[in-house]
Amino acid sequence: MSNSKIDPTTVATIWHSMQTICKEMRHIVKRTAQNYLIGQLQDLSVGIWRADGATIAVPAGLPVQFLGTTFAVQDLVKTFAKNIHPGDVFLTNDPYHGGHNCHLPDWGYIRPIFYKGELMFFSLCRGHQMDTGGSFPGGYFPNGYDIHAEGICIPPIKVVKQGRERTDVIDLILNNVRWPDGVKIDLYAMIGATTRCEKRLIALLDTYGKKTVKAAVQEMLARTERAVRDEIRKIPDGIYEGAAATDDDGTVLDEPVWVRVKITVKGDRMTLDFSESDAQRKGFVNSVYAATYGNAIAAVCLAFDPALADYHNQGTMAPIKVIAPLGSVVNCQYPATVGASPVNVGNQVMEAVLEALSKALPHRAAAAWGKHRGDYVFAVDPRNGERYVRTTFDYDGSGGAVWGYDGYQGLSSITALGAVNRGNVEEMEVRIPWRQLKYEMVADFTGAGRWRGGPGIHWEAVNEGSAGQMATGSSDGDEMLGFGACGGLPSPPCRTYLRRNGEDVRVKPHRMTDVKEGDVLIKHSSGGGGVGDPAERDPEMVREDVENELVSVNAARDVYKVVIDPITLEIDYEATQELRGRSSR
Amino acid sequence: MDEKGRLEKFKASTTPSDPSKGLMDALNKAARFYGLDARDFLGQIEVLVHGTTLATNILLTGRGAKAGMITTEGFRDTIEIRRAIKPIDVSLYNLFIPPNRPLIPRSRRIGIAERTLYDGRVLTSVNERQVADAVAKLETQGVESIAVCFLHSYANPANERRAAEICREVAPKIFVSTSHETLPVWREFERFNTTTVGAYVGPAVGRYLNALDQVLKDSGFRGTLLMMLANGLVQNISECVKRPVFLLHSGPAAAPAAAVHIGKSMGARDLLSVDMGGTSFDVCLINNGEIPATTEHWENDQRVAIKMVDISSIGAGGGSIAKIDSLGLLRVGPESAGAEPGPACYGRGTEATVTDANLILGYVPADYFLGGEMKLDGDASRRAMKPLAGRLGTDEVGVAEAIFRTVNANMAGKITEVSTKRGYDVRDTVMIAGGGGGPIHAGFIAESLGIGTIVVPPVAALYSAFGMFAMDIGQDYARSFVSRVGNIDLAALNRVFAELEKEALASFRSHGIGADKVVLKRTADLRYVGQFHEVECDISNGKLTQKAVDAAAAAFARKHEELYTFAMPWKPVEVLTLRLKATTPKARFTLTRVAAGGKNPASALKRRRTCRFEGRDVNTPVYDGEKVLAGHVIAGPAIIEETTTTVVIPRKFVCSVDKYKNYVLTRRRG
Repeated sequence: MSNSKIDPTTVATIWHSMQTICKEMRHIVKRTAQNYLIGQLQDLSVGIWRADGATIAVPAGLPVQFLGTTFAVQDLVKTFAKNIHPGDVFLTNDPYHGGHNCHLPDWGYIRPIFYKGELMFFSLCRGHQMDTGGSFPGGYFPNGYDIHAEGICIPPIKVVKQGRERTDVIDLILNNVRWPDGVKIDLYAMIGATTRCEKRLIALLDTYGKKTVKAAVQEMLARTERAVRDEIRKIPDGIYEGAAATDDDGTVLDEPVWVRVKITVKGDRMTLDFSESDAQRKGFVNSVYAATYGNAIAAVCLAFDPALADYHNQGTMAPIKVIAPLGSVVNCQYPATVGASPVNVGNQVMEAVLEALSKALPHRAAAAWGKHRGDYVFAVDPRNGERYVRTTFDYDGSGGAVWGYDGYQGLSSITALGAVNRGNVEEMEVRIPWRQLKYEMVADFTGAGRWRGGPGIHWEAVNEGSAGQMATGSSDGDEMLGFGACGGLPSPPCRTYLRRNGEDVRVKPHRMTDVKEGDVLIKHSSGGGGVGDPAERDPEMVREDVENELVSVNAARDVYKVVIDPITLEIDYEATQELRGRSSR
Repeated sequence: MDEKGRLEKFKASTTPSDPSKGLMDALNKAARFYGLDARDFLGQIEVLVHGTTLATNILLTGRGAKAGMITTEGFRDTIEIRRAIKPIDVSLYNLFIPPNRPLIPRSRRIGIAERTLYDGRVLTSVNERQVADAVAKLETQGVESIAVCFLHSYANPANERRAAEICREVAPKIFVSTSHETLPVWREFERFNTTTVGAYVGPAVGRYLNALDQVLKDSGFRGTLLMMLANGLVQNISECVKRPVFLLHSGPAAAPAAAVHIGKSMGARDLLSVDMGGTSFDVCLINNGEIPATTEHWENDQRVAIKMVDISSIGAGGGSIAKIDSLGLLRVGPESAGAEPGPACYGRGTEATVTDANLILGYVPADYFLGGEMKLDGDASRRAMKPLAGRLGTDEVGVAEAIFRTVNANMAGKITEVSTKRGYDVRDTVMIAGGGGGPIHAGFIAESLGIGTIVVPPVAALYSAFGMFAMDIGQDYARSFVSRVGNIDLAALNRVFAELEKEALASFRSHGIGADKVVLKRTADLRYVGQFHEVECDISNGKLTQKAVDAAAAAFARKHEELYTFAMPWKPVEVLTLRLKATTPKARFTLTRVAAGGKNPASALKRRRTCRFEGRDVNTPVYDGEKVLAGHVIAGPAIIEETTTTVVIPRKFVCSVDKYKNYVLTRRRG
């Protein structure tokens, strides 16, 4: 092989260095950003691509935000041709017009990296902005007329040209968003991250030389591709199907929107065909191809050997084909609205793929996670007279079960794969005028199974600020349930209420509603789906759940077929055996 | 160190069943050396600085107290939801991990009606009846330790304080700790979890410290006993017992100071400090002579948010146990045989450990362990290897080689992780190797990482203890003070610093150190308004004026640019926390020099024995560390036997001895 002269230690060192550079970029933004979503919750992605768009390093981020960036880089190189120079920084948030972005609030800064006159790499830093303009703050509001109603659309343009800021362009952009001061801080934070990436990559090139780094990258892609093809070969050849739906599209109400996938595995290749999915919708759940691609690829990676987890790149993508017909909800056309799509239908793309693969590889089965339960509240903080928007992952349930383990507690939204974090109550109360009343796990509110989903969560807070509005745009899961795998149960339905004058008023997902002073927002968010038959769960694990008040004595008996004494909390083995024996017959 | 500034070292084995015994053994050894009766010797000691890995080991091995938590009603899952953070080293694309197991399970976390608001106002006083009932319930569950964790207690600790009082009244025997005493800083997950870790290690730590205090007093000790803390500073026993979490990394936290001291004598400022003991392997990367600190530490998948010397560790040490996993692969550690039963060759344990492998490979002498105080049983080591040999399809020596290679790879991997996280190339550093096991493994680890120079100090086995001499002693103080720089209340600011300084000086006075000998250094955590993370910046001493505060803000902007590539002069800056570090300069000391000899080390040759290098038996020269002279050059493969450790020089390295008897291993060219 042509690269055989590169020793494996050099390949490993360059590989780990590039991953480390990505982690460092993320660290810079996290430490300097002002936006709660980026600074505390890490709604942020970074990576490194080769000049031809091949994905090199993508260790940290939200798949929907960056795994499809290969398409954006390819278009950028085509569109700007000879007009890409050292010191340039591109900005884009556009799903269309060569941006290949999932929705408008995610702004991506792309920096070309040159070495000795040659374009070598692109680095991307993309994060969810506090605001992107449009009819309402936050980007998750339903019923936009078209994409332009959802905010300012920025096709790939230079905001920094050969090291000089294009101040007039930046001013134009900032003049079209709310909280321009804050968005400006984040702009510098994210550009700063790409600056650091450039510096580190150039140091790497200085150390090893251009030729060696190029060859090492080639070797990285080749090694990953070989390993991924081996993994695909382990999946029995065949056709596997999965499907998932979001409650509605926010415009046509109470009518679920379906994503359906047919996965064909043949030898060392696989095809994910989403052709049977619903057509593009009037509402804001439409996903562009790059976003669907990112979610689908990430879901497939989950079924591979976890030892590969840190090493995915273009080599992973080579043997996997993703088909999504133009004009469908998984490959929408301009000017369709896309606001909610990173979550709904992004979530559904992942769930459908995981459901299909759980049938193919039961020992790698992974159930759905608790649905994302995001609500955006915008109002005024009477303490300083300033407007605010509340964005958070705190409402969500937990991760779904996998073969061998219960779902991880508190993980938020499967499309983020655990990359995003929750906030602290103390920080929230300092920043916005809401007082938290409750934030706890609840019993019997997750998918049961031999391995159960992580616990569901009860979240409750009172509005001590002004009246305002709330968009339940990225919420889901009131009607359509997250699936359980291999006989595990789905996660139960979720609910959102506003308690006003002592009365609970239900608010469905994908709606806009008023919020009054003194309103109490209540979120019941279920945990993930289960894996395996609940009647096969280790009775000792059931007893422990009962002791921890995560499973009631009744559910232990009725769902898990384990009889537990309500006073001593000890297992009645005889009764359990009888119950389990009977139910299996 | 004696009154003339001369440093001597003494070492004794760890005695886990009664850890204070090990310390007393070492002190008795020292007394014999000085020709004194132990009682007289102890009576003459002015300051005893003590480091212990007890707290770290409790957390690492999961053998902490059965603890309970009393917390704000409706928020009892804070440490379990844990901000949705997966174990930090688990990839995004790996879902196959067990759920987290909080140190205090849900059944022992009890919510109490009480509420303090973000501005410190008490909305609901603590329900005393509920607290009493909760304590009674926890007591019947057999709880030995209670963490009191209420929302916003950093802003007003009244409710936490009252609840803690009730705990102590109802159950005087239970160890009680509070979140505001542990870490008086906002953000409840970080504060509660740090407090939980303290509650988990607290009872054992308290028992140990009190026993130690007693034993010392009974033995005639009249001086000051100071404990080495995680932040690289020291503290007296009564304060330590209140905040046991600060004893994490006690001992190891001093090691980087040793590395800096040794590096300085050689003109090296980029250093990799490695310390391999019986249970764990600690790494600290020192850039430009600065010992890094962090408040972002995770210890064994537990978030510990106190300010600590930035040391990373894995469970790899002489006692690490070798096992074959379900896939038929050899795993070494993190389980450790510790000091009791210890490696099989100690004669009590039966499981194969790294030390057993080192014995079989010839690296560790059976007859000269701890200078011959303890005889090692090679047959026991081989017996322990036998079952592994069968499953791996090799012989005992093959198993020993596999264990050695595996544990070295684990340690090298950890170093790579640490260095790349901080963005430095490890090959540019000088490795300083300490701990009982460090000098045995360092050469092999360095070889795999491409590191060219290793220094093994003669004090290797007492590496972190040496660091305690090399560092200033002092304490850290912090107080929340939230204000914009532009309209800061100067009177209040000066008052807070004055209070912190008063507290610091009083503490030094209680150790018998006058104000004239104390160095005060002020810093403040600053950030641009709206940001989420702060940067610690210097602020001047004395009465602060607006000009001084503005200067600190300007320093912040410069540091921000240096750290993050940009500054934002148009944004206002705010203060979050005021900090004071009070230290007293260390006493000067000198290291014993060795006489100079020629290059030829023949005069120090002790014997030859068969050692295993690169898969072959090699008749290897063994040198006597007591006879080695400055200037000697020893080519690998070779062994140097010190009383408290063994230096193994791999084939690719050459060792030269400097005037302080540092062993400097340099990789041969080509």
